[in-house]
Amino acid sequence: MIEAQGLTKVYGDKTAVDAVNFTVQAGRVTGFLGPNGAGKSTTMRMIMGLDSPTAGTVTVNGVPFARHAAPLREIGALLDAKAVHTGRSAYNHLLAMAATHSIPKKRVREVIEMTGLGDVAKKKVKGFSLGMGQRLGIAAALLGDPQTIILDEPVNGLDPEGVVWVRNLVRYLASEGRTVFLSSHLMSEMALTADHLIVIGRGKIIADAPIKDIITGNGQGRTRVRTDQPDQLMNVLAGNGVSIEVQDHELLEVKGLDPRTIARAALDNRVMIYELTPLQASLEEAYMELTKDEVEYHSLITTGAPVPAQPGGN
Amino acid sequence: MSTSTFVQPGSGSTGPVNTSGNARPRPGPSFFRVLNSEFIKFRTLLSTLILLASTAVVMVGFGALSAWGTGQFADAAASDPSAAEAMAAQGGDLAVTVPTSGIAFAQLILGSLGVLLMSSEFTTGMARSTFAAVPKRIPAFLAKLVVVMVSAFLLTAVSTYIAGLVSVPILDNYGLKLDLGSAQSVKLLLVNSVYVASVAAIGMAMGTLVRNSAGGIMSLVGLFFVAPIAFQLIPGEFFEEARKYLPGNTINPLTAVEHVPDTLEAWQAALVLGAWVVVPLVLAMVLLKKRDV
Repeated sequence: MIEAQGLTKVYGDKTAVDAVNFTVQAGRVTGFLGPNGAGKSTTMRMIMGLDSPTAGTVTVNGVPFARHAAPLREIGALLDAKAVHTGRSAYNHLLAMAATHSIPKKRVREVIEMTGLGDVAKKKVKGFSLGMGQRLGIAAALLGDPQTIILDEPVNGLDPEGVVWVRNLVRYLASEGRTVFLSSHLMSEMALTADHLIVIGRGKIIADAPIKDIITGNGQGRTRVRTDQPDQLMNVLAGNGVSIEVQDHELLEVKGLDPRTIARAALDNRVMIYELTPLQASLEEAYMELTKDEVEYHSLITTGAPVPAQPGGN
Repeated sequence: MSTSTFVQPGSGSTGPVNTSGNARPRPGPSFFRVLNSEFIKFRTLLSTLILLASTAVVMVGFGALSAWGTGQFADAAASDPSAAEAMAAQGGDLAVTVPTSGIAFAQLILGSLGVLLMSSEFTTGMARSTFAAVPKRIPAFLAKLVVVMVSAFLLTAVSTYIAGLVSVPILDNYGLKLDLGSAQSVKLLLVNSVYVASVAAIGMAMGTLVRNSAGGIMSLVGLFFVAPIAFQLIPGEFFEEARKYLPGNTINPLTAVEHVPDTLEAWQAALVLGAWVVVPLVLAMVLLKKRDV
């Protein structure tokens, strides 16, 4: 379990992480989602004791990381695929890491096999692709067989097979009761991997909820209904907490009722409907909605900022 | 009545939960283990091995060259009374310093190695792995310091001895005797090795403070090669006096057979060099502990 309380990091006049509170529970995959520069990596480095918080605390299983007697056996982290001296081979890198905790060579070979680095383990890391670097970082994180695993952008640079492998690995680790904390700026990946989401934007937590809740927007499921009697149907469905939007001549979007209730009401009142589609916001939409005010680097083109008019142009 | 539970002695249940239990031993980063790790890191980098090998080659090569040059000088002295006088002024034993004649280069290369071993941690990002494994940081620093100093000491000592072995037959050609087992030979070997180890330690401190390879090596070169010359060129008694206290100028008083006037006493030189080692190292450790990685 990871617990952050009032965790703050200030660089000069920029607040990278702004008094965040969150808890990462064991036994599930917790996604840490946010746009670039939102404070994900800084938060993770503070968990690992590499950056010291300006204010607040963060503990792993109740104790600050640095005070654990055997840190690598407590928490393993992939913070940066390049946290390796590239002149050394993957095997020697892991061997040196393992030596600090008397982790046997057998375990080093195990994590090499586990991460599919067997063929390149004796080669210098210099020649590694980004994906191989990620695998080495994950191997290092697993070295001490830790109860808590932190992975910063683990699927970056992985091929599709690697992405699926990471997904299965973290799900397996969580199913064993471990705490898995995974950051990404890819919402689609989170939708497939995480059970719980912590969304961060500009250093602040903007959502901390099960992934289902974030997608459905706190139970605000919508249903698309097509009928040739839209007025009658609207009268029938109208009620407390129900909102209906007329989208087209015979097309309605209903919020606040589930499809079964809509169908029952239509049948009871002899209103014919010819489409009934439950709509689910994609995580992507939910994420965009959540972070639209919190994105650090807006692109002028996608936000549609007005371009100064060209003289004489139209 | 529930308050009684709070005063129960040893109520560890409210403390941090050890989620993995105590079923198997879970060794952590003890100093010996961290030292082993740093030694693995040291011997698994080709660049380190190249620097070590080139130091040995330079030391032995300069020893041989110096043996030849000293022999030529001695030959000249036999027919030239003024050269003989110059030799007598050196205590009559020119040959004894031959094995350590490459020491200036050894200190430059091994000092740079000290810088690189630490600065590369930061430039490559390895530091994040190192200090995640050893979050208290200082044990990793001290372990690396032991590896750097011991390897610099051993390499200088062994290279000096080999340079001596190579020099003996060359000097013999010129009728000069070099006894590698004499008290002064052993003293020169040990003092020079300790000196190079100290330079490597200063280099490591620089690498930790600057966190940049080029910057660290330039600081070291500035301190050992530029400052002595600059201090000599700048007029004024202050610089004349301050020059004696530069770390690179401690080696002559330390190895002198007899005290040379207008230089530091050997014990003073030892203290000055010690300060040049300890102060940057302590500063480096304080900042290493404080700064973000």
